[in-house]
Amino acid sequence: MNRVALLAAALALPGCAASPPLAEGLSRDAPRSIELSATPFYPQEEYQCGPAALATLLRASGVEVTPSTIAPEVFIPGRRGSLQIELIGAARRHGRMPYVLDATAHELVAELAAGRPVLVLQNLGATRLPIWHYAVLIGYDAEQNVALLRSGRKERLEMRWQRFAGTWHRGGRFAFTTLAPGDIPAHADETRYLEAAAGLEAAGQLQAADKAYDSAIARWPDQPRAWLGRGNIAYVDGDLAAAADAYQRAILLAPGDAAARNNLAQVMADAGCPAEARKQLERASVHAAGTPLAGAIAETRANLESRPPPAAACALADRIWPD
Amino acid sequence: MRIERFRRACVALVSLSLMSLGMQTPAVAGIVGTSEAIAAGRSQDALSAVQAAIARDDVRAKLVELGVDAAAIEGRLGALSEAELAMLADRIEQAPAGGDALAVIGAVFLVLIILEITGVIDIFKKT
Repeated sequence: MNRVALLAAALALPGCAASPPLAEGLSRDAPRSIELSATPFYPQEEYQCGPAALATLLRASGVEVTPSTIAPEVFIPGRRGSLQIELIGAARRHGRMPYVLDATAHELVAELAAGRPVLVLQNLGATRLPIWHYAVLIGYDAEQNVALLRSGRKERLEMRWQRFAGTWHRGGRFAFTTLAPGDIPAHADETRYLEAAAGLEAAGQLQAADKAYDSAIARWPDQPRAWLGRGNIAYVDGDLAAAADAYQRAILLAPGDAAARNNLAQVMADAGCPAEARKQLERASVHAAGTPLAGAIAETRANLESRPPPAAACALADRIWPD
Repeated sequence: MRIERFRRACVALVSLSLMSLGMQTPAVAGIVGTSEAIAAGRSQDALSAVQAAIARDDVRAKLVELGVDAAAIEGRLGALSEAELAMLADRIEQAPAGGDALAVIGAVFLVLIILEITGVIDIFKKT
């Protein structure tokens, strides 16, 4: 018994970090209470809180799914649960952009205020003895000092704010919302937004990624990665001129961007402009020396040199390319 | 005889389709994807093409081992970036797996009751 008590005391220590009541942390312009009561509810089946929570989020954002259609996309029998990364991947497969929130409660509140429920990872156990659980935060009430959740088999779970904050803190403060393509989150962070858009591109959700890059360019016109992304989508669509223009913008904004120079070289090679392609690859290989991109650039060069000489004149000769 | 031939044709067809699944890559030849470019900018996440391919194979094998239906695996891998695949390859056995909060057993249960009584955790009251 003594040993158990000791163990319990040891386990308890990290859980003691106290969170303040909600009313104290809430910024002045935030609503005192929110409840997204139209958020659907799926009571979870055994081990299936991941599929249930993700289906709740996707449904709320207008995608027709159920936990049973999501389960084969995320559930891992050997782990009796689902992993964060795979929930994110599954959201992409359904054409939504998963956007991981900052580790502060302010972004949770801001997303709720924008009408989007938030998927959270909670550790309902202790730091050293975790019990992982996904739930969907649908609101809060500062007067009652509670978080409102769709959780497990409970359609409307009121959890004292400090308890909720504690379980979320012990779960690593992981939370994300799903955005319709092109939507910008309430507290948009440039880097996280572009990572989210690039995730759509990597998952082959090109239309959704394209809309996200358009929004990023409108919001942060000087962000080179957004132009790189736009170029990549245009290239896959077969629009060489649009791809070249986008890569050019990316290079003008970040002359040391080896990825944009490599991709521009690929476009130039396709457009029958090998001399310009060679020049861009030279610049790219200087910037990429010693990085993992060096291999990709060497490959683009080998591919360029193995092509037969172009049959027609350079199709993009009317442009001036960044040095 | 005819059945045997049919069986062989089926096997050949299935193995061919499995092979092509295994070779599927989301990348476009000659183009560096935006997520790779972002990862390359943060050296700790950067992967060479070879490392990325190894990570993908690794995650595929581990998912099979952990009981995921083989037919679902390629779609799942296809939804992830290279950096995410590498993270999964490293941590698939330890990463938090949100499951069923009530599936707790034995000694763990006893400790949890104590923690619950002392108010540190809240598995029993509030899920």
